[in-house]
Amino acid sequence: MSRAATDAAAAREAFAAWVEEAGEGGRVFGQVLVRAPEPGLFSLRHVEEAGASGLKLHEDPREAREISKTTEGGEYRPLKSSPNLRRGWELRVSGAGDLLVAMNYLYPAGVVHWHLHREGRLEVTSYRENAARQSGIYKRVQRLSDGGVQDTARACCEDAVCLKKTLWDVDEDTPLGMDRGDGEVPCPEPCSVFVSLARRVRLFEREKKRDLDAIGLSPSEKEDLAALVEAAATGHVEFAREAEFEKPLNERRMRYRRLTLAPKLRPGA
Amino acid sequence: MRALIIVGHGSHLNEDSSLPVYEHAERIRLTGEFDEVVECFWKEEPSMRHVLDTVESDEVFVVPAFISEGYFTQQVIPRELGLEGPVTVKGDKTVRYAGPLGTFEGMPDVILERVEDLMRGRETRGRTSLVLLGHGTDLNKNSGGVIYLNAARIRERGLYDEVGVGFLDQEPEIGGVVENADADDVILIPVFIAEGWHTRETIPEDLGLTGEVTHLDGKRVFYGAPVGTHPSMANLIVARARETEPGRETQVV
Repeated sequence: MSRAATDAAAAREAFAAWVEEAGEGGRVFGQVLVRAPEPGLFSLRHVEEAGASGLKLHEDPREAREISKTTEGGEYRPLKSSPNLRRGWELRVSGAGDLLVAMNYLYPAGVVHWHLHREGRLEVTSYRENAARQSGIYKRVQRLSDGGVQDTARACCEDAVCLKKTLWDVDEDTPLGMDRGDGEVPCPEPCSVFVSLARRVRLFEREKKRDLDAIGLSPSEKEDLAALVEAAATGHVEFAREAEFEKPLNERRMRYRRLTLAPKLRPGA
Repeated sequence: MRALIIVGHGSHLNEDSSLPVYEHAERIRLTGEFDEVVECFWKEEPSMRHVLDTVESDEVFVVPAFISEGYFTQQVIPRELGLEGPVTVKGDKTVRYAGPLGTFEGMPDVILERVEDLMRGRETRGRTSLVLLGHGTDLNKNSGGVIYLNAARIRERGLYDEVGVGFLDQEPEIGGVVENADADDVILIPVFIAEGWHTRETIPEDLGLTGEVTHLDGKRVFYGAPVGTHPSMANLIVARARETEPGRETQVV
């Protein structure tokens, strides 16, 4: 057995054992409550439905993919660690192998990273290392300022929007200043959703240098404010899709604006 | 143990892009040829960057679910997976990297199966033109090249009065393919991996298509589903993987 093969296989066994050791209460991984009602038998459900009855029962671990694909409102979930896992289901599987299959659809690669992190062997890649690899339309993220990385991480990675525990830093000398989260699922490297938001924030940084108006607002800041006002005036703010960062009413984009635009609008607040 | 990793583009916005990868993976899983069949993506999870962490096998086959040789197959996928060439040894894992699907010699057969699906219960009349629709880009000649390659391979079989090509982002443009076809019946097959914005919206809008059959300029136009979602693509993925094994280079489909 190779070292890497051992890692994936060992993670499978370690995770099953971790759940079994927990007794009746089970373990929480992301938003999933995993319990072992008897050895080798696993029951998974949304953590907020620990005592619920009448849940839709699934017994094929690969049905976890459908469960994790859309929110309760039917919206596509590009990031499985977003705190928007739908409720109303129970998945019963037998054996550590099927448990891992299910977990890998609910939190892709989450179990093996959890295992490696517990053993102190998870390789972590900083933002700057990740950015250095980027090419094509993402190459520009190499020029994102340290402050821009910090604000993007706060906007994109805090528990309000992503339940992974952020392990990476801006670079080896510059730690992230955000609350990294308390969950069990480690995040060893900026993900593609993060890089996509970072690209958008870099576009904002560039315009700030050249296009500020008399009161210091950039064109995209004004666009976002106008979109917000117009939407709110209808009584119903419809948000853009989760990773649709080019649209003003995107939650993570708004979280970034809260960090960077709100202080400009309320100086001294 | 042997693992097959299928690499898809994926999407941050909708599920259409990755769906064929999941479906082909499931079909291949059922054959039992591989101990593990795993999906990974550029824009979805698991990322290419982390997929090898999840694999237990020591023999790993990586097949890109991409049509053409280009930016993704030559640059992004090898970089993200840490591949050094056709064969990369990573620890005790031997990772074999296959070519894209569109350039494979079995591709014309899948395209013709798509035509068959579309034309089942329908008869062509008069001169018939098959037109392969691709994305194309002026930035990389391989993108359009793979469409020309498949058109040439099908042309050699002499099944249609003419076999043409049309592109979204290079000449000849899709908007002109029906008008320029010297035929009574025109069969359009999108050579794309997944259903999506282009196959559902851009192409039908460019041509004024209203469904599977549209009457345009006195011609009957048949519009098929994308080649990449055809179940036979699963066989192509497996054949691409097998081809990378030493001594099996010639034993494809």
